[in-house]
Amino acid sequence: MDLSLNVNGRPEQFAAQPNELLVERLRDGLGLTGTKVGCDTGQCGTCVVRLDGRSVKSCLILTAAAAGSAVTTIEGVTTPGGELTGLQEALRQEHGTQCGFCTPGMVMALGELVENTSDREAPTEPEIREWLTGNLCRCTGYHSVVRGVQRACSAAREDAPAQPATAAASGQEG
Amino acid sequence: MTAVTGETPLQGNGLLGQPLDSREDPQLLRGEATYVGDIDLAGTAHMAILGSPIAHAKILSIDTKAAEQLPGVLKVATAADFTDVMPLPCIWIPGGVESHFPPHPYGLPGSRPVLSGDTVRHVGDPIAVVVAETPRQAAAALAAISVEYEPLTVVTRADEALAEGAPQLHEAVPGNLNAYWTCGDKDRTDAAIAAAEVTVELDLVNQRTINSPIEPRGAVGDYNAATGEYTLYASTQGPHNHRFLLSALVLGIPFNKLRVVAPTVGGSFGTKGYLYPDMPLVLLLSKVLGRPVKWVDTRTGLMNSTVQGRDHRQHVTLAGTRDGRITAVRCTSYANLGAYPSTIGPGVATALMGRSISGMYDIDAAFCEVYAAFTNTVPLGAQRGSGRAEAAFLMERLVDRYASEIGMDPAAVRRKNLVPKEKFPYDNGLGWTYDSGDYQLNFDRAIELSGYADMPARKTEARARGKRLGVGIASYVAICGVGPSTRMSKEGMLGGTWESANIRVHPTGEVTVTVGSASTGQSHGTVFAQVAADELGIDPSQVQVYEGDTLKAPYGQGTYGSRSYSMAAPAIALTARKIKSKLVKAGAVFLGVPEDKVVYADGKVFVEGHEDDTENTKTFAELAMAMWYGWGLPPEIEPALDETTHFDPPDFNYPFGTHVAVVEIDELTGETEVVAYTAVDDAGHIGNPKIVLGQIEGSIVHGLGQALMEHAEYDPDGRLVSRDLGHYALPRAIDAPFFTLDKTTTPTPHNPLGAKGAGEIATVPPAAAVVNAVVDALSDLGVRHIDMPVTPEKVWRRLRGESQ
Repeated sequence: MDLSLNVNGRPEQFAAQPNELLVERLRDGLGLTGTKVGCDTGQCGTCVVRLDGRSVKSCLILTAAAAGSAVTTIEGVTTPGGELTGLQEALRQEHGTQCGFCTPGMVMALGELVENTSDREAPTEPEIREWLTGNLCRCTGYHSVVRGVQRACSAAREDAPAQPATAAASGQEG
Repeated sequence: MTAVTGETPLQGNGLLGQPLDSREDPQLLRGEATYVGDIDLAGTAHMAILGSPIAHAKILSIDTKAAEQLPGVLKVATAADFTDVMPLPCIWIPGGVESHFPPHPYGLPGSRPVLSGDTVRHVGDPIAVVVAETPRQAAAALAAISVEYEPLTVVTRADEALAEGAPQLHEAVPGNLNAYWTCGDKDRTDAAIAAAEVTVELDLVNQRTINSPIEPRGAVGDYNAATGEYTLYASTQGPHNHRFLLSALVLGIPFNKLRVVAPTVGGSFGTKGYLYPDMPLVLLLSKVLGRPVKWVDTRTGLMNSTVQGRDHRQHVTLAGTRDGRITAVRCTSYANLGAYPSTIGPGVATALMGRSISGMYDIDAAFCEVYAAFTNTVPLGAQRGSGRAEAAFLMERLVDRYASEIGMDPAAVRRKNLVPKEKFPYDNGLGWTYDSGDYQLNFDRAIELSGYADMPARKTEARARGKRLGVGIASYVAICGVGPSTRMSKEGMLGGTWESANIRVHPTGEVTVTVGSASTGQSHGTVFAQVAADELGIDPSQVQVYEGDTLKAPYGQGTYGSRSYSMAAPAIALTARKIKSKLVKAGAVFLGVPEDKVVYADGKVFVEGHEDDTENTKTFAELAMAMWYGWGLPPEIEPALDETTHFDPPDFNYPFGTHVAVVEIDELTGETEVVAYTAVDDAGHIGNPKIVLGQIEGSIVHGLGQALMEHAEYDPDGRLVSRDLGHYALPRAIDAPFFTLDKTTTPTPHNPLGAKGAGEIATVPPAAAVVNAVVDALSDLGVRHIDMPVTPEKVWRRLRGESQ
């Protein structure tokens, strides 16, 4: 079947089998290998991407079911070798990564949490941990990741403009 | 500033010990690192492996015709296609024992075929492979292969495999006994136990667990017909070892025709150092098909084929006096090796475990015996903290049991028995000689930090909330820094275990460090640059580190057993000292003064006393260029700066530590929550505390996983019940409490950095600490032990007075 997706801001059109998974389209079809596959059962979270802004596990979604949507992968978060986002920079400072295999999925899932922080109370440590339960990490024990998110949320709140109207006008949000 | 003159090697410029940011992180955070699954060579075909669906059977026939006809299928192969391939060897059969396994053609004790042809011995045992144009086509074709089996009786427990009448796995191994191994003094230990005022005994199950790196294994084979060279890209923690094993011992091809490349590796924790059938298969099939062949495992495949860990059933005894002095410890262990001896599994199950059982304690008599048996389960291998965690578990459970028996505080019993500082180096009577330590300092720090004295009040307070609070202590000594090659040969390890490093100074003053080690997420590029820059007195940004490619890196054994910083980093430091030494000699020529007047410090050479005088100084960059030109050098000084060191230490190193777990058990649900955790570890001098911190935290959570939730459980038919991450519980972020961490620092004398192993050491004590805490919380109910994993159901039953 012929399908279309908007991936990292670029329209993509392709023919797909009905049983094709979104993660297969991204990795094998579009060569976006930043999204990883770590399990067969939707447990590990290495394949998390953003679908119309919400973080989803791309191994649990058929490409056909995502048709017409906007998909953001880790490659859409930064330019190659480019500046890190606030979350990535905070994770770097806290060394919230070791082998890095779970990292892109975590950045995608946690990005949603951090982005929503600027206009509300910063998430508590239990909230951050709860948000992270869909992403498994065997190296870090999660502590450095949690510290990174706390750091990123603090920065996001500090950076948030005092008046929302100004922010909208400057086009800096999102 | 510390200066070095002439040949005298001294320390560096203070960079070591600094928490530099990991230079690997930005690439990982951007998702730009290349793991084996991301490698996409032109023309790649895809391999899938058919694993046995049953645990023990004779193969009567295999029909591949239907599979061969399917779309995209390029090749279907079975054992019959690989009759000229040698079996995969086992290279660590513990010394001093007779191995009963049929020998490898090269005389190595123990082996398994690349594919099983006539008998399968565990679920997942590879029988056939398919190569197709796409991964999906290859996987689909597996289903079209028909195999006719004659089922055989199954055994999954080591003790049952050794019982009379048990099903036999290998004709040449009567009674399924791979090895009977002992250490320590049996007669002395038996006598001490017989004469003791107090003895306590426990029957322990150290359950089988699965390391579960988040990246499953993978391999890409690429044969070049024009040159006859093979390249293997694999998720390996030891590319040089894999090159040696595969070329010389399996494929029978010249060593110099095989290149092994480890790309970014997504975690290992011990499992990716092993030789697996997929590695020779992708190489052989690439040659057959004339195309690169790629295989990436599934999670279920990983669960059923990648080595698993722990798995001992033990009867343990401790003897002591009524006033708390431990006089003897004895362990009889039944170790489950699985269906085949893995690359080094038998050594893990025996020497690594047995020689550590006395832990931090000064005990007069100790003895350990291990019956290592074959069963119809996945082969056993290393797992983060391997052997040492099993040893700490039995000893620390025994100490608590003993303390309870004599009515003494468990902390007081431990304190009384710690090896005193003045006794180092300390021969533990089991085969290890501990290098250095201040166990009292470490222990007291952990007890104080944990707020141990306040626990009675906290227990009362918790009871008021419907919770039972328990506190558990576990101390440990972990053998690291494998190691001294001759010493390992005495342990039965077939191979040198030294490590090497090369430093090349480029004409522009930049430096390339190559090492034989290979990271699986330990930021080697950051830390090793730090080591070289520290020694050379230059900025770490000038140093680039390469590893993981046998074509580019000097020989080395890889990353395992927390060895890289105490093996590869010393090799780097010693190489940097060779560079400095050469620069002092050359500096004498360039500066026109005698060598003994030349000083190397802070990245320059200068005439003694003229550090700030540019006329009498050559900077590192100037020296690099001058050595590149080589003008004016006398014949005894070769031009260029390119040095290598092969580091083989005199002995192992022995990090240690004390952890204290505080748990709360819910009276209604039986759920155990770790509410506080204190860890004080001693890894000697640490190069980069930020990176070690992450490893300590991750290790503790791994240990908590074994205590509370992880279990590779087989059903009576030998099927792995916990076959995926839906059935095998890994700790999640909500399962990990924050920790109180501290360190003590006792340098080892066995390497020039004073560095001990660090990466996995904190996995060693948590299981014991948590189970001790749970038993403490339930002790008034008469509970004396509870098996791991401590699930809510088990605790709930004990709360209701049911026995285990």
